[in-house]
Amino acid sequence: MRVPANLTRGGLGFNMTPMIDVVFLLIIFFLVSSHLAQQESQLPLDLPGAASGENPREDETRRVVINVVHEESAEGQIVVAGRRMKTDELEKLIRYERDREPDRELEVRIRTDRRVAYGVVQPIMLACVRADVWDLTFAVIEE
Amino acid sequence: MRRPPYHRDPGGRLEVKMTPMIDVIFLLLIFFVCTASFRNEEVLPLPFPPLPGTIETAVEIDPLEEDLDEIVVKILWRDGAVFWEINGQEYYDLDRVEGVLTTIRRLKSDLPVILDVEPAVPMENVIDVYDLCRQVGLEKVQFAAPEV
Repeated sequence: MRVPANLTRGGLGFNMTPMIDVVFLLIIFFLVSSHLAQQESQLPLDLPGAASGENPREDETRRVVINVVHEESAEGQIVVAGRRMKTDELEKLIRYERDREPDRELEVRIRTDRRVAYGVVQPIMLACVRADVWDLTFAVIEE
Repeated sequence: MRRPPYHRDPGGRLEVKMTPMIDVIFLLLIFFVCTASFRNEEVLPLPFPPLPGTIETAVEIDPLEEDLDEIVVKILWRDGAVFWEINGQEYYDLDRVEGVLTTIRRLKSDLPVILDVEPAVPMENVIDVYDLCRQVGLEKVQFAAPEV
């Protein structure tokens, strides 16, 4: 980049354009990386489709996201925050989350693959009810 | 990047080169293309309470009777195919089920619907029926439970 040596014109000697480019680059980098980081926390699943879905609440609600994947083996289908677990451990986790902050609402979001059998999801719902969590939602794909 | 030379045309007006501006526009365009998502993930909330407790099965009620307290929709699974049973009547077509639910909703709009799902039924069929109830206008949907 050429540095202007002559400043006797009375105006600013350096041009703003590269600076604006760099600022835009930084903005775009942080936007993209935060967007991707948020998406990474969601396990890619073939969610069931529904037409009457609502937009998820983006407020301060505490949320436990339970992913249920569809796999050949029957065991270990429940994945929470990257960890595979069974229903009893899941119930302990929900109770723990519930007791951590008893005066804040806890939402449990169940993200299942569309091929997962209801028999796998029903114990999860029962575990939530036993842990006194009533705010359950199912994640769906907009149809 | 060379500083865009400021030309002055014969009239004395300033003109600026467009190249950096086009660079910025392309950057923004690429950002929005990369972060656009076409599969919107939404949620279906379950109304409180999701599981009402034990229910009796095989209740014989004439579906045209007006004094229904609740309606039980059974989702069943035979040989890899799903079919439905509402108040003892079997249905093999989801559109018929929608018709029945619409008729019932016209009779009583805030009727609780209880879904009794067999364990082998895939979640997409369960969500289909639940979604159907919400679309028809029946908001109070609960899932039957063996014990709470």
